[in-house]
Amino acid sequence: MSRDSTVADAGGRVVGDFRIIERTKKVPGPQERTFERGLGIVTPLAFVLLWEFAARAGWIDLRFFPAPSAVLSETWRLLRAGDLVAHIGASLSRVTVGFLVGAVPAVGIGMAMGLNRYIRAALQPMIDATYPIPKIAILPLVLLVFGLGESGKYAILAIGVFFQVVITTAAGVAAIDRVYFDVARTFGVGRLALARTVVLPGALPVIFAGMRLGIGTALLLVIAAEMVAAKSGLGFLIWQSWQLFAVEEMYAGLMTISLTGLTIFQLLRALETRMLRWRPINVQ
Amino acid sequence: MPRIALATESRFDPVPAKLAIKDLSKAFGGRAGVTAIDNLSLEVRAGEFVSIVGPSGCGKSSLIRIVAGLDAEFEGDVHLAHANPGRLLTAMVFQEQSNFPWMTVRENVSYGLRMIGRLDAEGRKRVTEYIAKVGLARFENAYPHQLSGGMRQRASVARAFAADPEILLMDEPFGALDEQNKVLLHDELIRIWEETRKTVLFITHSIDEALVLSDRVVVMSARPGRIKDAFEVPFERPRSVMAVKADPRYGQLFKRVWDALRDEVLRTRCGEERGGE
Ligand SMILES: Nc1ncnc2c1ncn2[C@@H]1O[C@H](COP(=O)(O)OP(=O)(O)OP(=O)(O)O)[C@@H](O)[C@H]1O
Ligand SMILES: [Mg+2]
Repeated sequence: MSRDSTVADAGGRVVGDFRIIERTKKVPGPQERTFERGLGIVTPLAFVLLWEFAARAGWIDLRFFPAPSAVLSETWRLLRAGDLVAHIGASLSRVTVGFLVGAVPAVGIGMAMGLNRYIRAALQPMIDATYPIPKIAILPLVLLVFGLGESGKYAILAIGVFFQVVITTAAGVAAIDRVYFDVARTFGVGRLALARTVVLPGALPVIFAGMRLGIGTALLLVIAAEMVAAKSGLGFLIWQSWQLFAVEEMYAGLMTISLTGLTIFQLLRALETRMLRWRPINVQ
Repeated sequence: MPRIALATESRFDPVPAKLAIKDLSKAFGGRAGVTAIDNLSLEVRAGEFVSIVGPSGCGKSSLIRIVAGLDAEFEGDVHLAHANPGRLLTAMVFQEQSNFPWMTVRENVSYGLRMIGRLDAEGRKRVTEYIAKVGLARFENAYPHQLSGGMRQRASVARAFAADPEILLMDEPFGALDEQNKVLLHDELIRIWEETRKTVLFITHSIDEALVLSDRVVVMSARPGRIKDAFEVPFERPRSVMAVKADPRYGQLFKRVWDALRDEVLRTRCGEERGGE
């Protein structure tokens, strides 16, 4: 905002022409925020309505793109029959076990790598060499070794999660400001106390980022593993519906995966917010 | 052979020094590296408050880090007399921000005591006391990111004091403070020190601060750092900042210290213009 003005001195004489610049203040009001949030709901809703309308009007091929209402009623049927809950439970337990088996040692080893140059020197090249292999490529090998039972699925998930978390943890530890280690050293802090009071909390923001990546990998792998080697789980449901050409069931499966993934990410985010209360809000 | 020795008696002085540094040299980065400290010798008596002033980059932080035991790669001898093995020997206030961002002010100030296993009722009382002394009582549950730079610096001063060490090492602790808080903290530091009579090695770039606080001011040369000169500070105790500044001897002493320091600062600047060496 600006306006032209003349400025007078104390005696009232004009001493010059100025353009007065006023810094504008802008605070997003509650209405603005409601509008933003509304947009996030209205857009997908409009899309679904358009889809429904297009399906009923016969503009799209129902064999590939069934009406949302048909998908919803199929989902409801699967829910009532108990199938869906069983599939969700099967996938979730695989993700949980696989994630924990992969992430817990990854945090430990990643911290050791970040702290000790010899451990890093010993492990980093191996990790760098094996990390780029798409984990799906070793799925057959893992199934060969661990068999078609649950342990095979746990193993492939654990491997995928391990790599994501170990790399980010080591990077997170290495990024901790040296001065914090110095503070601990001036008080003669031992290894364990150092890990507990400096290393873990200092690397935690980065570890959480690694865990989010790890969850993404785990979801991908659980679906892939269930498609080829399971008789339960959401991956199995989708694969089976393809074989039976039950497209509506397939969409029901897709929707369920999306909602399950969303829920897991929200839970992780909530845990992160709780554990990282010390961080400035705008970083999160 | 570099050696840090802990002894009840100094080997090379009839008057036992609390801290004795002899022929200390420190080089960074191997053969082509910089010599930060060159043949520096300094003794600090028990209960003495010694300030070191010197141009930027002359090796002050390098020196205090060696004394604190944070850097073991040096030449020469460093002796510290540890009177009471149950107590912490040294605590350090760092030049840069050093509060753990993941701990509240109270947790930060308690940290040293907690780590040496002395956060008992008495320790907790001392934590409360020092948080109040540095004016952070209302912020004891705040996290560092919620504090201003000066408040964070005060928290790290409180952390070092609360740990109750025999020797306090302070590396430009008030460098980031505003002038008003500095005067208040100087008075507070003088008061605490006169109560506790700890041995203090205090680094600053402010002659003013050095004269107000210390018993002796040591001037370091431009890099490589050596002791250029030392001045006894005569102002009687108990002191106050204003009383020292009103003293006619203050201006004279200031000038003498500045004369010693000026050449070194100029040498540093010439060195930088010629490309750092
Ligand atoms: N880790 C390091 N590696 C290489 N050189 C270093 C390192 N730390 C310090 N130096 C060099 O050693 C010299 C002394 O540094 P030091 O930090 O001790 O200076 P200082 O007197 O504390 O300066 P200031 O008053 O600016 O804090 C500087 O020239 C610096 O470049
Ligand atoms: Mg310094």
